[in-house]
Amino acid sequence: MTTYLVTGLVVGSVYAIATLGIVLTYSSTRVFNFAQGAIAFALAITFYELTVDHGWNPRWAAAVTVLVVSPLLGLVLWAILFRRLADAPSSVRLVSTIGLWVALPPLTGLIFGRDERFAAPSAVFDPPHQYEVMGVGVDSNDVAVIVVAAVAALLLTVLLRATPFGLSVRATVDAPSMAATVGVNTSIVSAGSWMISTTLAGLAGVLLGTQRGFTLPQFTLLILGCFAAVVIARMHSLPLAFAGSLGLGVVQELSKSVVVGDFLDQFFERQSVWIRGLPQIIPFTVMLIFLLAYRGLGQERFSTDTRRADDAPTVEDLDGPPLAWWRRLLPVAVVVVCVLAAPLVLSGLWEGIAAKGLALAIVFLSYTLVAGSGGMLSLCQISFAGIAAAITADLATNHGVAIVVAIPIAALVVVPIGLLAAIPSLRVGDLYLALATLALAVLVDNTYFELPSVNNFDQGVDVPRPEGFGDDLPFYYLLVACFLVVALLVRNVRRSTTGLELDAMRSSEQAVATIGVGIVRSKLVVFGLSAFVAGVGGALFATYSGRASPEQYSVLLGVVWLAVVVTWGVRSIVGALLAGLSFAVFPQLASEHLTGAWLELPTVLFGLGAIGLAREPRGVVHQIVHGRRTQERARRQRARLRATPSPVPAGVEGGGA
Amino acid sequence: MSPRLEGRGISVRFGGLLALDRVDLEVADGAILGLIGPNGAGKTTCFGVLSGLVRPQSGQVLMDGHDVTGASPQRRARAGLARTFQRLEVFSGLTVREHLVVAYRSRGRNVATRIALDCLGAGRRPFSGEDEAIETILDRLGLTKLAAAPAGALPLGTGRLVELGRALATRPRVLLLDEPSSGLDADETAALTELLRSLQAELDLSLVLVEHNVDMVLGLAHRVTVLDFGQVIADGTPAEVRASEAVQTAYLGAAP
Ligand SMILES: Nc1ncnc2c1ncn2[C@@H]1O[C@H](COP(=O)(O)OP(=O)(O)OP(=O)(O)O)[C@@H](O)[C@H]1O
Ligand SMILES: [Mg+2]
Repeated sequence: MTTYLVTGLVVGSVYAIATLGIVLTYSSTRVFNFAQGAIAFALAITFYELTVDHGWNPRWAAAVTVLVVSPLLGLVLWAILFRRLADAPSSVRLVSTIGLWVALPPLTGLIFGRDERFAAPSAVFDPPHQYEVMGVGVDSNDVAVIVVAAVAALLLTVLLRATPFGLSVRATVDAPSMAATVGVNTSIVSAGSWMISTTLAGLAGVLLGTQRGFTLPQFTLLILGCFAAVVIARMHSLPLAFAGSLGLGVVQELSKSVVVGDFLDQFFERQSVWIRGLPQIIPFTVMLIFLLAYRGLGQERFSTDTRRADDAPTVEDLDGPPLAWWRRLLPVAVVVVCVLAAPLVLSGLWEGIAAKGLALAIVFLSYTLVAGSGGMLSLCQISFAGIAAAITADLATNHGVAIVVAIPIAALVVVPIGLLAAIPSLRVGDLYLALATLALAVLVDNTYFELPSVNNFDQGVDVPRPEGFGDDLPFYYLLVACFLVVALLVRNVRRSTTGLELDAMRSSEQAVATIGVGIVRSKLVVFGLSAFVAGVGGALFATYSGRASPEQYSVLLGVVWLAVVVTWGVRSIVGALLAGLSFAVFPQLASEHLTGAWLELPTVLFGLGAIGLAREPRGVVHQIVHGRRTQERARRQRARLRATPSPVPAGVEGGGA
Repeated sequence: MSPRLEGRGISVRFGGLLALDRVDLEVADGAILGLIGPNGAGKTTCFGVLSGLVRPQSGQVLMDGHDVTGASPQRRARAGLARTFQRLEVFSGLTVREHLVVAYRSRGRNVATRIALDCLGAGRRPFSGEDEAIETILDRLGLTKLAAAPAGALPLGTGRLVELGRALATRPRVLLLDEPSSGLDADETAALTELLRSLQAELDLSLVLVEHNVDMVLGLAHRVTVLDFGQVIADGTPAEVRASEAVQTAYLGAAP
């Protein structure tokens, strides 16, 4: 038991170091860094390469990585990305660090190669000393990690409490525009926070790597722990973030102990996925508990970004003057004709690829609903797709249900699962929803998708195609029809009262509440619908592939999906279609022309696309349709409108004159 | 008969700052209540409590004698409470007309019918009586010509009118206006005063008016409550308030 306590504290310390960085940058710049784990990963690999490939002394390599490379990386990232996010719309602020999360690991692969990294250099003591504390063997490296975390936290506290820099940061946290007017240099504050944050990421990365190995899944688990701790800290409390991380690490490790194992044995089979998936189940559960608790305390009912009050109004929603009908319809017409005519010119292989793209495009329409209309960042659409695919396969193959019946049933089953993550988190804010959905996706990945009946030894379960659509050509046109039907549904919802309410909500939740519109209700409606759409798309994707195999629905892939969709334009139906097609076509092109680490090039591009939103928030499609000149004209028209005096109320005009 | 809206002993604390200290106020049927006080007196916070956006540490809010202290802003809105904001809260992605549409439809159908209608594409068909009601409001506020303009691009004064129109479209019985005349020039303010007076009479509204333009409030209101540092320092008819010594020193003295 005590052994687990020690390892728990070690893991928790690593969480704590990375979490402090996330909380620091969130409170000082309002940018939530989803990429903290990816940054830690990139820096850990840097350390690994320095020691193992270049033969540096591990302590030197660690010092250089953490104290030189990490802050430099932070500075570079700040200069090219984070700096721009300060006045970006909040949706972009959320998404662009997700782009970084997507792009960084494959970029690391491009730079350092994608070798398996087995050797585990130790940054601190090699070989470690062994101590005996209260009858438990403790390793000096364990002690070192805990001490390092405590020192890092202490230094950070001193830095924030007792230095001019700290004062500037705290001033910025309280009132950014005010801080700027009294002469705080906000650039230095934000650049400084990001450099500190990446330094902490580098430290966490090196420690985690030396303790647990240099593999990506380790780092995914790291961010999950961090995000749960961030929820505990309600995004801003450093002490709570620290304590929460430690607590979470301990609970996660204790769950592996014999006592807990024996207890759980009464309910589950040993080796069942529910016991093996416990480390992933815990962060999600902890998040849910704290979300419910905070909600119960009645806090943050309107946790719309408090910073917004200080920001200049965002121009995200201000489109230019309405375009002529033909300019609006032309791109749609071109795309429709291309899609319909594609099989005439495509070879058999590419016909299949295009069909795959269409199936994905249907899933992507769920983002158009949930993120485009609802303004919610859901990271578990892929889990909905995967669960629906698995259920469809089970119904069709094992229970003989006709596939056309199985798909809608499966998609309906997914809806309540989605609401489970959405209901507690929605009330407290969109960022919490993103974290809760991510946790849910990881949970599904490690439990449901690992079930033998679903996973079937990584083979997946067969899914038959509907009668008469066995060949790729008819199946392609079936998918076109399905896409059109779902697209129509999305369009209808967007134009409905609910759609209008959601558009209003993106500007002001307070105002929406005071005219009597239920915020949570409207959001849940689109969230549920989007889960359904994702389910349909996921099941169709499985039907295309011929089997539902969970590995095609993993969390990280879902994050890449999101990056692709936002790159093309999350508000646009055509954007979803192009995103689906490009997600099928680019990797195919890469596999034909590239090798090795370059195979990941499409992923890098998708990630960079999402990062690029910081420049053009509405995505590529919007840019193509509206073009630069129209945007310019729109800006001028806005300026003119602002300058005109407000109209005098009509009822009084006559009397007053 | 109980007043349409009543606050009893409301206290709100932000950290170390007591923004409202046991504030009582009362809005009778069809009356106009002026709420004045220097900057930072707690007027906006008071509106927050009345409309349900700010939770008071203690005290009660009653509508028609029913306790709504724990009720959501939405429930209060459905019970006939509407408000505008000091710092403009227009929906920048919507047109002026759409602001009124959303507000008008907020007392709408149940969720299941709605989802079905939304998906089938019937979700934006106007409710019965909706078009006329909205045209009337647009006309009264002189917004008819701007009905199709995106609200995010409008100047401040027009934005205030849009917020007023949005509030009216919910068919309120009590309307809270937070500094409606700020950003307007003298003529526009006069026009607005007339408009509010006639709207109040026609629609049988109870109005609560937060204003820095003291002449406007004292001219328009039937009763006036004065706040200073979160406390009610005077309460009475405009004439009484104008005469009150406490008000003279705390407030009017500075701006005669
Ligand atoms: N959310 C908040 N957090 C902390 N303090 C707040 C908050 N809202 C208001 N305050 C403080 O409470 C006090 C009352 O503010 P309030 O906005 O209600 O005043 P007001 O009478 O509306 O002032 P004004 O005439 O400037 O609009 C002020 O000192 C203000 O700084
Ligand atoms: Mg105010």
